[in-house]
Amino acid sequence: MSRGSLLVTDLSVQRSGRVLLHPTSLQISRGERLGLVGASGSGKSTLGHALVDTLRAQGRRVAHVPQSPDEALDPLRSMAFQWREAERALGLAPDYARQQQLCTALRIAVDQLGQRPWGWSRGMQQRFVIALALLGTPELLVLDEPTSALDPVIAARTMKLLDSVLAHGQTAILLITHDLGLAARRVDRLLVMHDGHIVEDAATAALLAHPRTPAASALTRHRSWLTLPC
Amino acid sequence: MLSVDQVTVKRGRVRALDDISLRLPAGQTLAVVGESGAGKSTLIAAVLGLIGLANGRISWDGAPVAHCRPALVMQEPRAAFNPRLSIRQTVLEPVVAARQPLPADRLDYLCDRLELSTELLARRPHEISIGQAQRAGILRALLNAPPLVLFDEPLSALDAVTQKHTAQLIADLQAEHGFAALIVTHDLGYAAAYSEQIAVLRAGRIAELAVTARFVRAPASDYGRTLRAAAVALGALDDSA
Amino acid sequence: MMAILSLMLRAVVVLCGAAIATFSLLWHAPGDPALAIAMARHGTIVSETVVSVVREQAGLNVGFWSALQDWAGPLLVGDFGHSSVTGRPVLPDLLNAMGHTIPLALLGLAIGLAIAISLAMLATRRPGGGVDRCAVAVASLGAAIPVYWLGLLLILVFAVQLSWLPAMGARTPLHLLLPALTLGLGVAAALMRIIRSGILEARAQAFLPALARRGVTARAIASDHIALHAAIPVVTVLGLELAFLLEGAVMVEVIFARPGLGSFLVDAIAARDFPKVQAVVLLAALLFVTINLLIDLIYRLIDPRIGARSA
Repeated sequence: MSRGSLLVTDLSVQRSGRVLLHPTSLQISRGERLGLVGASGSGKSTLGHALVDTLRAQGRRVAHVPQSPDEALDPLRSMAFQWREAERALGLAPDYARQQQLCTALRIAVDQLGQRPWGWSRGMQQRFVIALALLGTPELLVLDEPTSALDPVIAARTMKLLDSVLAHGQTAILLITHDLGLAARRVDRLLVMHDGHIVEDAATAALLAHPRTPAASALTRHRSWLTLPC
Repeated sequence: MLSVDQVTVKRGRVRALDDISLRLPAGQTLAVVGESGAGKSTLIAAVLGLIGLANGRISWDGAPVAHCRPALVMQEPRAAFNPRLSIRQTVLEPVVAARQPLPADRLDYLCDRLELSTELLARRPHEISIGQAQRAGILRALLNAPPLVLFDEPLSALDAVTQKHTAQLIADLQAEHGFAALIVTHDLGYAAAYSEQIAVLRAGRIAELAVTARFVRAPASDYGRTLRAAAVALGALDDSA
Repeated sequence: MMAILSLMLRAVVVLCGAAIATFSLLWHAPGDPALAIAMARHGTIVSETVVSVVREQAGLNVGFWSALQDWAGPLLVGDFGHSSVTGRPVLPDLLNAMGHTIPLALLGLAIGLAIAISLAMLATRRPGGGVDRCAVAVASLGAAIPVYWLGLLLILVFAVQLSWLPAMGARTPLHLLLPALTLGLGVAAALMRIIRSGILEARAQAFLPALARRGVTARAIASDHIALHAAIPVVTVLGLELAFLLEGAVMVEVIFARPGLGSFLVDAIAARDFPKVQAVVLLAALLFVTINLLIDLIYRLIDPRIGARSA
C-alpha cells in the first residue's frame, strides 16, 4: 500500500434486514480523482456515507458534501457560527486569514457571514458547504451529487471553482453522480454501482470505450443527450 | 398552433413575464430553458389560464387554450397523485371529468407503450418508483388525446439513464399521436436533443428564440452562450466527438 | 421594521376592541347595578330613594355613549376610575392584587417549564420506550385533571396528611409553594408533549448527520442546534399557555384563599363594581397582547423565515 493512500475493507451496510451495500473494499490513492456512478437506488450515497464514517473512525481526515445545502447547514444558525463550529470540531484555532483565503477562492461574500443561510443564494450556500469541507485539508473529499440541486450555469461555475481549489492539493475526491456525462469530464477512475455492489472499477477512458457490465453499458449509452457538431 | 402574443404577467410590481411572444405549431416541440426564477413555470401557468395576463393574448388555433383541453405533466408526479387512490383511479380522473367515452383499447395501448403493467396500476403512489410514477403521469396526460401537452421539468426527478429512456418515450408517443409539446426544462442537453425550437428565458424576458439546431451550433445571445458552455462543462452536451 | 410596527398597531387595535367590548357587555348585563351597589354599601334592605341617589353618584343615569366616554377618557391617561362601591381609586387596589398574582403565575410557569423540559428530555432518550410511554400517559392524565381538583388533592396530601406545607392564605413565601405547584403541574402537563414532539422533530432534521460527519460532538449538536429548533413550537404555545396561567391563577387563589386578582375579580363581580371588573379585564387583555407581541418578536429573532413568510 502506497504512502498516504486510503484503504477500507469489507464495508457493508444493512438496514432493517435489507442489504444496502454488499461487502466492499476500496483503495484510493493520494490526490486521486474517482467517480462513483450508477442509477438511483444503487447504493451510491450509502457507500459514500459509510466510507466517510469508517475513515473518520480510523482517524483519517475526510469530508463530505451532500447534494443540497439543506442537508448540511442549520437554517437557524449564522454562517459564521457554523464556520467556527466546524473549526472547533477539527480542533483548529480561529484563523481569519484562512477564512478570507477560502472564501475568496470559492467566491463567498465574507461580509455576509453574519447572516443565516436563508437569504443566501443556493449556489453560494453550496460553495460555503464546500469551504467547510476543505477547512481541515482533508485527504478525501466525498462529493455526493454536489451540483444537481443547482441551476446548470451555477453548477458549472461551482465545479470549476472546486477544480481550481483542488488543483494543486493532495486531496483525493470521490464524485458520486448518476450522470456519467458529469463524471467523465473530471475523474480518472470510475466505479460503477448496481444493486449495492461495485460491478466495475476501471480507468475512465477504458470504461467509456469498453463497458463490461450491463449497468456500465446502460450508463455509457446514455452518457449525454447530444454529441455536438464541431 | 399555440400562439403566445406579447404576454406580460405581473407579480406585484415585478414583471414575471415581460412581453413574451412564441409560436408552437401542432405536433412540434418547443423547449423553454433558463435558470430558476426566470419565469418558466409562470409561462406554463399563463398558458393553462391559471393566472391573469397584464397584457397580451394566448390562444390555440384562434380560440382560448382551455377549449383544446391541454394536459400537464409535472416534475414530481408522486406529489401530484392522491396517496389514497390507486394509480389507475388517479390516471382515469381526467377521463371521468371529460365525460367522453374512452376508446376501448386506448388505456391498454398507452400502458403497453409506457411499460406500465395492469398490476402496477392497482398500486398506490408510494408503492411505485419515481420513473414509473412519471410514466403514469404521462399516461394520465395523454389518455384524452389532447392536442397540446405541457411538461414542467418532466425529467429532473429522474436519474440519468431513466431520463433518457423517458425522453425517448415522450418523443415516440408524440410522433404517433401528433400532440404539440411545450417542455420547460433547465437541462439544455434534453432541449437540444428533442425540440424544434428553443426559447431562452431570463428574468421574464426572452433572451433568445431560435431553431434548436442553430442554437446548438452557435447561440446568438451572450446568455445563450453561457448556458451552452455550462451544459458542455456538466457533460449534458458532449463536444468531444 | 415595518412588520414590527404593523404588529404593534394590531396590538393597539385589539386592546381598544377589548375595552369597548367589555364596557358594553357589562353595561347591557341583566340586573340593576345601582341596586347591587346600594345593597353592598347599605345592607340588603334599601329604599328606592337610596338606589336613585346611588345611581346618580355612580354615573349610571346617563346614556351608554356618554358613560363610555366618561370611562375611556381618563383611561387614556392611566386613570382606571374609582370603585363604585367603596369610592376608592381602582388602580392601587388592582396593583396590590397583582403583586400577589404575578409571583404565583411566574413561579407556576417556572415549575411547569422545569418539569416539562426534564420529563420531555427523559422521554426522548428512547422514543417509544417504557419511560417515554409512561411520561406521555402521565402528561395526558395531567392535562385532563381540573385545577381545582388537583389543588384540593395537593392540600389533602401535603398540608393535611403530611403537614409539610401551609395551605391557606399568603402570610409567608412558603404559602406560595402549594398553589404554584398546582399551577405548575397543569402547565407541565400541557407543555410536556409539545416539547417532546418538538425535540423529536428537531432531531429528525436532514442537516444533523452532516454536522456529525463534520466532527461536531453529539453534545454540541443537542445544545446548539436541536434545542433551538425544538424551542420554536414551545415559544408558540407559551403564548397560549398564558391564558391557562391567568385563568388557573384566579381559580388557584380562590381554592387556597389567597388574596390577588382572583378574589379581586370575584368580589367585584358579586358587588357589580363595574370599574373594578373593567380594570381586571382590560389588564388581562393588555397582558395578553403584550406577551403575544413579545413572542412574535422572539419568534422572528429565532427564525427570520417566519417573519418573511407572514409579511
